[in-house]
Formats: sequence, structure tokens, C-alpha cells
Amino acid sequence: MSSAVVDADPILQVKDLQIHFPSRAAGSSVKAVNGVSFDVHRGETLGVIGESGSGKTTLGRALVSLIQPSAGAILQDRVDPATLSAKALRSHRRDYQIVFQDPNAALDPRMRVLDSVMEPLRIAGGMDRRAMEQAALDALARVGLSPEHARRYPHQFSGGQKQRIVIARALTLRPKMLVCDEVVAALDVSIRGEILNLFAQLQREFSLSCVFITHDLSVVSHISDRIAVMYLGCLMELGAAEVVGERPLHPYTRALLSAEPVPLPSHMRRTTRIVLEGEVPSPVDPPSGCPFRTRCAHAVPHCAAERPRWREVRPSHWIACHRVDADGEFTN
Amino acid sequence: MKPATPPPLLEVKDLSIAFRTRAGLLQVTRGISFAVAPGERIGLVGESGCGKTVSGLALMRLLPAESARVTGQILLQGRELLGLPEKAMRSVRGREIAMIFQEPMSALDPVFTVGEQIAEAYRAHFPGHAQRARERALELLDQVGIPLPAQRYHEYPHQLSGGMRQRVMIAMALICEPKILIADEPTTALDVTVQAQITLLLRELSERTGTALIFITHDLGVVAETCTRMLTMYAGEVVEDAPVDEVLLSPRHPYTSGLLRSLPRFARRREPLVSIRGRVPSPDAMPAGCRFQPRCDHAVAPCGGEQLLRTTGQPQRMVRCCESLRLDLPGVPLP
Repeated sequence: MSSAVVDADPILQVKDLQIHFPSRAAGSSVKAVNGVSFDVHRGETLGVIGESGSGKTTLGRALVSLIQPSAGAILQDRVDPATLSAKALRSHRRDYQIVFQDPNAALDPRMRVLDSVMEPLRIAGGMDRRAMEQAALDALARVGLSPEHARRYPHQFSGGQKQRIVIARALTLRPKMLVCDEVVAALDVSIRGEILNLFAQLQREFSLSCVFITHDLSVVSHISDRIAVMYLGCLMELGAAEVVGERPLHPYTRALLSAEPVPLPSHMRRTTRIVLEGEVPSPVDPPSGCPFRTRCAHAVPHCAAERPRWREVRPSHWIACHRVDADGEFTN
Repeated sequence: MKPATPPPLLEVKDLSIAFRTRAGLLQVTRGISFAVAPGERIGLVGESGCGKTVSGLALMRLLPAESARVTGQILLQGRELLGLPEKAMRSVRGREIAMIFQEPMSALDPVFTVGEQIAEAYRAHFPGHAQRARERALELLDQVGIPLPAQRYHEYPHQLSGGMRQRVMIAMALICEPKILIADEPTTALDVTVQAQITLLLRELSERTGTALIFITHDLGVVAETCTRMLTMYAGEVVEDAPVDEVLLSPRHPYTSGLLRSLPRFARRREPLVSIRGRVPSPDAMPAGCRFQPRCDHAVAPCGGEQLLRTTGQPQRMVRCCESLRLDLPGVPLP
């Protein structure tokens, strides 16, 4: 970073990350993440927003070493996990945990909740059973569940409670960083608030760094310090939550914001809406140049010729667009 | 009735649905009553399990008689649908009331082209008009905004994107020009930019053709942008029925108010979100009286008595809350 706000010691550094999956057609690949660079500061919540196929889930998995980069690097606390031995990786990765969208799939239906929550400690080793049980009960208490709950099985809980259990499990190892992949997407509105509040509280208590992946703009702008916008494997914009969430520069972020249905009476809604045409192109064969150009109302021939540089238009505000300047005006 | 209100197209009276289970009858919705005027767009909102989807299926008479007991009345232009023999119902279903679902991929047959599937809906109601069915299918593909209809006609569902498949479902539902279209979470599986396209399309089609819309969703933003009226459901009952623009600002039921205030969009950044304490009661353990009472901040003794959906004194507004007139409930916080 070249601005005044330089983080000399980020918890996570992502450098030109590429993740490609082999595709059935010979010689082609799915470019799920296609050249992404950003940092996660200590103690911050970085929201990653994107539509389906944007690569946000792949990115999240890569951040906790569940997927290997095809190119580029991810430094976790200045350590590149790809260079670690299997044994070293096992102890290193305890600090980088992930919570998934569907708590039903994340909990073994035949294990009591206590055993599920204890499992990470058991795998990490070095604790006797009594200490592990106590740590698990503490973690459950932190998310508002009692020792009595700990003896039950997953099917005896509601969706919101199961998500609490999964969060408790991710916290037993006292990670430095937590990746949350669509953790409230499956929950009803009235419970969603409860879980988001819990996250905010735990994050403060544990001084966790969080990467919060979601497709829901209202969730991401509520919980995040900064927001990164992904489209077709690339970052389109990154900046402070109030800037990206309210005064975005990139044409895609603007369209995304304006597409969000607003629960306000008709006379109070914005009248101008940018309805994007078409849908996200295939990541097997992404457009040349700017990935968004096929749906962008501002695209010019140059956008097809060259991929826009990832540049810092204002301090700590990054975009990848040929046409937009720092004031949001379209130039060239 | 108020003179301004057009005669109802559909009248649902005291619709109750119970499932037959090993443990006996399980009541899932109770006493649902509402009316739909021609061209009206109604949002049926509520959280999972509140009975909004089964109510939609009951209107289409799609609940299997062996496992579901449906009582009450569904009057389509005065004609009672619940008592109709299945054969007669078949000429209503798809012709007068049509329905689209959340997941278009599971609603489309993978081995037929989308054009054939759209035309089939027409042929089923107008047998012997194969040529006309094909023409109508092409017209509909065009109307729902699918580019190159003549080419898309011959494509299979897997060749289309999610948004295009949902457009195909809409085309299929509208080919016989039904009077009512029930849309059950039609945009929930879609991305937000595609959702904006589909809700706009539904609103425009309804305005242009006069088809009434019953839009089942949990998304209050979608309701605000698509519908004219909102019915809030809680634990199998309609708790509030009001014009959308009014209910967003001044809900009359504490549950509606709680839903509106729990939307993260309106919370101050990093401040705790409002949530409704407790949980939805399960269908086999419904509290007596008001079903929301155990979670309600305004509950008083009379809430234990039976609650009816009553008029509020304001036109076109109904609420199931005995305390409603004494409460001044907040709606969506204004930006």
C-alpha cells in the first residue's frame, strides 16, 4: 500500500491470488479466483460481497488453507501455509477457522453437541478430557447455550441455535481469524439479528479478525469495517464500509447497491435504479479485459482490450475500473 | 364493502390446513381470510414455517388429500374451489390460477425443450391447437424478456441460466392468461441483480395484463417494490393485512413491527440489531389466544383470549391484535 494508512502488520496478506479448477473440457479451467490482492487488518471485519459464481466461497476456503492457490500467495501472519510441512500446518491452521452457511451439514447428527464442540480440541491434543469439556462448555456459554444443551443432539436445536453451536466450535481453539461464509443466509430475519449481534460481541471479546462473506449487502454493510466487492473471480472495489456501502465508485458496486430491494414506501425510494442486463458470464471463459464490461453501461472498447489495474484512487479506497475517477465521474 | 374497492376476484374465507400425522392432526394454518381484487399484487410474508407456502399450495389445490385436510372456502369469482371435483379443478389450475416456484430447475423437465414445456401448458387447456400453442409460447418467451425466442424455444433447461429458467417458468404460468398468479419465493434462489429484473418483470406483466399476483416471500424489500398490499403471517395465521406503503411506516401488529425493525439495513453500523426474542412456537404447542403473545413486549392479560382479524378503523387495514388501538408501533426507521 502506498497511502498514509499503511498497515505494517496485517493478519492476512493476499497477493495476486489465483485459484483455477480443472474443467471437464480439455485444456480449459474454471478461474474461480483470478488475481486478487488485499490485506486483512488485525481486529477488523472485512466484508466480501459477491453474487453466485463470483468466487467468494472459493476465496474464503483458500484463506483458511482448505484450497491451495494455483498462483500467488496467502500469508497468514506473515507465514505462507503452502510452505509448511503437514505437521506444522496442522498446528498453524488452528488460528484460522471457518464457519459455513449450513449448520445442518456442519454438525454430525450422531454426535452430542458437547462432543462436536470438543472435537477441534481433541484433534489439537495436549489437553485432558476434563479440561477439554470445560473449554467446550465455556465456548457454548459464550454463545448463550447451557451445559444442559451440551448433552443434546443437533436435531433437538433450531437453525439459529445450531449456527451458535458451530460458532462455539470454531472459537474453542481461540483462533486469530475467523472466516464466515454466508453464516446468516439460511436464518430467518428475526434470528439473523441475534446471530449478527453475537458475532459483533465475540469479535470484540476475542479481538478476532473476521472475513465475512455474503451476498447480502445490508448484512455486510452493517457488520463490516471494510467491504470488498467481487465479480467473476476479481475484486472490483475495496474500501471503508460506509464509503463502499453508500458512495461506491465502481459501476458494478453501484448497480449492486441499486438492485437491492428497499423496504420503503414507494414515495421514499430512490427512483433511479440501474437494472443490469444479463447475468454473470461463465468463469470458464471470462470476458477479455474487465470482467464486468459485458454488463456495464459505461464500457468502451478499451475495457475489452485491457484488464483494469487494481489501483488506489483515494487513500484506502481501491477500484479496478478504467473509466471511473476518484470523484466517481466517468473519464476517457 | 367500501365503494372504492372493486369486487374481489378471489375470496379466501377461514382457510385452515391440517396435516394428518401419526400423532393425529397437526394444524398448520388457521382461519386465513383475505380477498384479492383484479390486478392487485399481494405480498404474503412471514418467516419459515408460518404457513405461507402451504397456503399457496392450498389455493392451487395441490395439497394431497390423503395427507392434508383443508377446510374453509376458496371462492374464485364466486365459485367455490375446495368442493370442485379434481377434473373440474384441472381446468382451473393453470388456466385461471397459476403458480411458479422458488427453484426453476426442479420445476422444469430436463428432457423437453423449454418451448415444448411452455406450449404444453396451453395445449393442456386448448387441445387441438398445437400451432397456436407454439405461437403463444414464442410470444410469451418474448414477453418475459428472453432474447432470440425462436432459438431459445428449442433449448433445454440446462442450457439456460437461473434467471432465464425463472423467466421460462413465468412464461409457462402466464401462457393461458390466468387471472391470478401465485409466485412462491420466485427470486430467492437468484442473485440480487437478477432478482431486480424478475420482480420488475412480474410487476410490469401484472400491470399490463391485469393478472393479480400473490407473491410469497420472506423479503420485505421485495414486497415493498413489487406489491400493493402486504399480508403478514405468523404461526399459521394472518396477523396483519394492509396496503404496503402504510404498513411499512405504521404497522399495527407487534410482530410486523418487529420484523420491520430487525432489518439490518436500517440499523446503525456496528450497533446491535433489533431481534424478536424467543422462537416461533411449534405447531403442536401453540399458545392459547394470541400466538405471538409469548414473544410480545406489549402482551397484557386480554391477549390470552381468542384474537380475531379485525378492522382497524383505517380503510383496508386489518389486524389480529386486541391491543392494537392502544399501541403506537414503530415501522421501518427512516433514513
